[in-house]
Amino acid sequence: MLGLNLPVVIVLAAVGGVLAWRRANTLTWLLYTWVALWAFFKYGFAVPIPRSVATIYLGITGLALVCFASSSRERLSETVQPIARLILEPRYRLALAGLLVALPALAAYNVYADLNVPLEAPGFGREVHPPPPTEMTVHDETVDMATAENPYLHYNHDDPELYGEHLENGRRVYYENCFWCHGDGMGGDGMFAHGLNPVPSNFNDVGTLPILQSSFVHWRIAKGAPGLPGAGTPWDSMMPAWEKFLTTEEMWDVNLFIYDFNGYEPRALGQH
Amino acid sequence: MATLAAAVLLVALPAGGQVDLGTEEQRAAGKIVYDKYCGQCHGDTGDGNGYATPRVKPKPRDFTTGTYKFRTTPNGMLPTDDDLRRVIEIGAPYTSMPGWPNLTSAEIQNVIYYIKSFSPDFENPDRYGEPIEIPRPLESTEESIARGRVVYEEQGCAACHGEVGRGDGPSAPTLVNDKGDPIKVADLTQRWTYRGGATKEDIYRTFSTGLNGTPMPSYADSLEIEDRQHLVNYVYSLGDGDDPNYGTLITAVYSEEPIDLEDGETLDALFETAPMTRFPLVGQISEPGRNFFPSVTSIEAQAVYNRDEIAFRVRWHDLRADTSGRNSPSLEVPMWDEDNGIGAEAADDGGDDFFGDAGGDDFFGEFGGEEAPAEDDFFGDSGGDDFFGDGGDDFFGAADAGPPGAEFSDAVALQFPASLAPEETPELKPYFLYGDSQNPVDLWFVNLTYGVADTFRGRGSESIEPTEADIVEAVTSYDQGEWTVTYKRRRSSRAGVSFAEQQYTPVAFSVWDGFNRERGNKRALSSWFYVYTEPSVQPATTFPIVRAAVIVLVLELLVVFLVRRRARRQAAGEEAAGGTLAATEAPAV
Repeated sequence: MLGLNLPVVIVLAAVGGVLAWRRANTLTWLLYTWVALWAFFKYGFAVPIPRSVATIYLGITGLALVCFASSSRERLSETVQPIARLILEPRYRLALAGLLVALPALAAYNVYADLNVPLEAPGFGREVHPPPPTEMTVHDETVDMATAENPYLHYNHDDPELYGEHLENGRRVYYENCFWCHGDGMGGDGMFAHGLNPVPSNFNDVGTLPILQSSFVHWRIAKGAPGLPGAGTPWDSMMPAWEKFLTTEEMWDVNLFIYDFNGYEPRALGQH
Repeated sequence: MATLAAAVLLVALPAGGQVDLGTEEQRAAGKIVYDKYCGQCHGDTGDGNGYATPRVKPKPRDFTTGTYKFRTTPNGMLPTDDDLRRVIEIGAPYTSMPGWPNLTSAEIQNVIYYIKSFSPDFENPDRYGEPIEIPRPLESTEESIARGRVVYEEQGCAACHGEVGRGDGPSAPTLVNDKGDPIKVADLTQRWTYRGGATKEDIYRTFSTGLNGTPMPSYADSLEIEDRQHLVNYVYSLGDGDDPNYGTLITAVYSEEPIDLEDGETLDALFETAPMTRFPLVGQISEPGRNFFPSVTSIEAQAVYNRDEIAFRVRWHDLRADTSGRNSPSLEVPMWDEDNGIGAEAADDGGDDFFGDAGGDDFFGEFGGEEAPAEDDFFGDSGGDDFFGDGGDDFFGAADAGPPGAEFSDAVALQFPASLAPEETPELKPYFLYGDSQNPVDLWFVNLTYGVADTFRGRGSESIEPTEADIVEAVTSYDQGEWTVTYKRRRSSRAGVSFAEQQYTPVAFSVWDGFNRERGNKRALSSWFYVYTEPSVQPATTFPIVRAAVIVLVLELLVVFLVRRRARRQAAGEEAAGGTLAATEAPAV
């Protein structure tokens, strides 16, 4: 859920709970906040987040904690006193020696790990739903992106039988052309999906079809990767420009079908 | 009515509980799921003839025949419900059958009842067999694997699966199933592509029950259980890991040695030092001439470079070396050749198959097969009218008369951008399908008939021109079902991309299998990946590690010293403010 590694999140929250129950001192809270955040970034996500991002967050958090600790004389002394005691009191001598060894070791390990990160291909951001053009020409017809709608959608109410025919035609088109990448169940997990980057759209996802107007989907179907603006990295996408293979009616039919299959409706015109 | 009658009949049968066709309601519920998720391939009437069927290989199962490949039951018998459930849940890898994890257990059971209603065989108790017992795998010792090898040889496994298991046996190109559709022999070295599953238990099951409807027999009668277990260990030992570990980067390693393509041994030794990366290949389905079922699903690549030159080595498996036909990146593919089924309908009218009619003669003019009877020329015959009706059909019908000849040769290409992306837009690349008008690509193309590299400049699929700006050399070899192609070029280039140290250069691959009639746009291809030219001098690692440790230690000691001095002074009676103390301590926390 939410791409989180739930057991880790639960353990971190539980540790926080124990600290609250034991009424931990300010220094412990500061250390806990930083370490918990580090652990959350490193282990808390199902898909690891980039190191550089985590480093920036942890750096900012560290500065914020220092500001917090020095924001009042009381907090400052609560933070500093335990450290001073550790350094000054003879009974902590062993702990101090341990810390003096452990921290440099940790720093050394960190640098070692940094040097041994396996090489990765450079990654670049990409806009998943880049803005469409204001109009486009498909099979010699001009489509106004702001006002175009699926011409067969209204049969849903007006003529269910005809609607069914368009759906069935859309089903044919989908399974003759689309499922290799978008998948039988439309999860974006077809048999070619593992070889593609960017991965094919997942039509089950509530964040895809329902937020798009049917004209946007029509644009994506008709113009494919070559019709994307640069922000959508058109050079990497396998999405064909289906106007090369399909009639306008077939493209609207498959548009209808993918919405119907997933139980979604296109975002209405003018709805934001 | 008929189903009701059948249901009444079944109740009366003393089937020992084996015949279980579910209730009318369960089958009706199964039909709803089936119509939504299954009918598009398996056909709304279960005959394996859905919308997708002409364009997928292997063909979807025809449920009216009662023939199932993946079973725990003896050869020729029907599968158990659990067998069917297993395939529905996890699918068959590298085929168009996906797993259906979104279906509930009850939904799957209902679908199973519905699927069984397509074939009367499921009403016949004689077609049911007891599931075999699958013993725990034997320990994979050297002796066991050696015994397995002996069994592999004695049983003639190599005839189809090849000497080292790459699916390249002499019979491999001829194999068809009981419906006459060509089938691909399992490449035993790529376990992740095993359609029936890749565990030792799955492999044992396949030996013991056979795959109904295919040439893969059951060895239940001819092999002792123990020998089957040894064979499992041998087959398992052929595998190149559990999963393909697809990568995204080739790391080109530096060498002081000269790169001599003629000196095979030294060249092999050189590539021993370079890491191998496997990349996924999929069918080209964006431009006309689509390839819905590419033969080759992955390619491995390595690179080495020295002061002046860079060499790439690619490897892939192919069931046969096709080295007599023609091929080129831009060879035209007629629309009918995109799939092997749409024309097949036309074949029913025409009555003959492509090779019978057109393949043997000199349709291709000078390129025609040598054994061509040349009674007529294709265009004279058909007059350009009914080409598709006549010729565009059932290519695979020719399999009856032995493997089809190599009309097209095997080929491979590396693709690089003609120039690197400008610094301000590092993400910019040419269109990965042969480039585009603004951003061309260079193709290092090797037609394996000739085994030399030809270079092309691509500005999109419609604009691929030969170029001789850079000299690319290549050597090729085919050994036991594996092609190896090694390329070499100077690192610097005036016309194309240069390979500087510590540079990430986009690279993509195309592979053509002539046996699968792949040419031009009909090919297996990859997305853009990268090759990284590792620095020739590796930076030292000890110094930065030690430096980090020393810096932290010095800071620690400084804090300890300051705190103690302050405490001493305090003890000596001086007033100390907490604020200044904190300023020195905060960083150490």
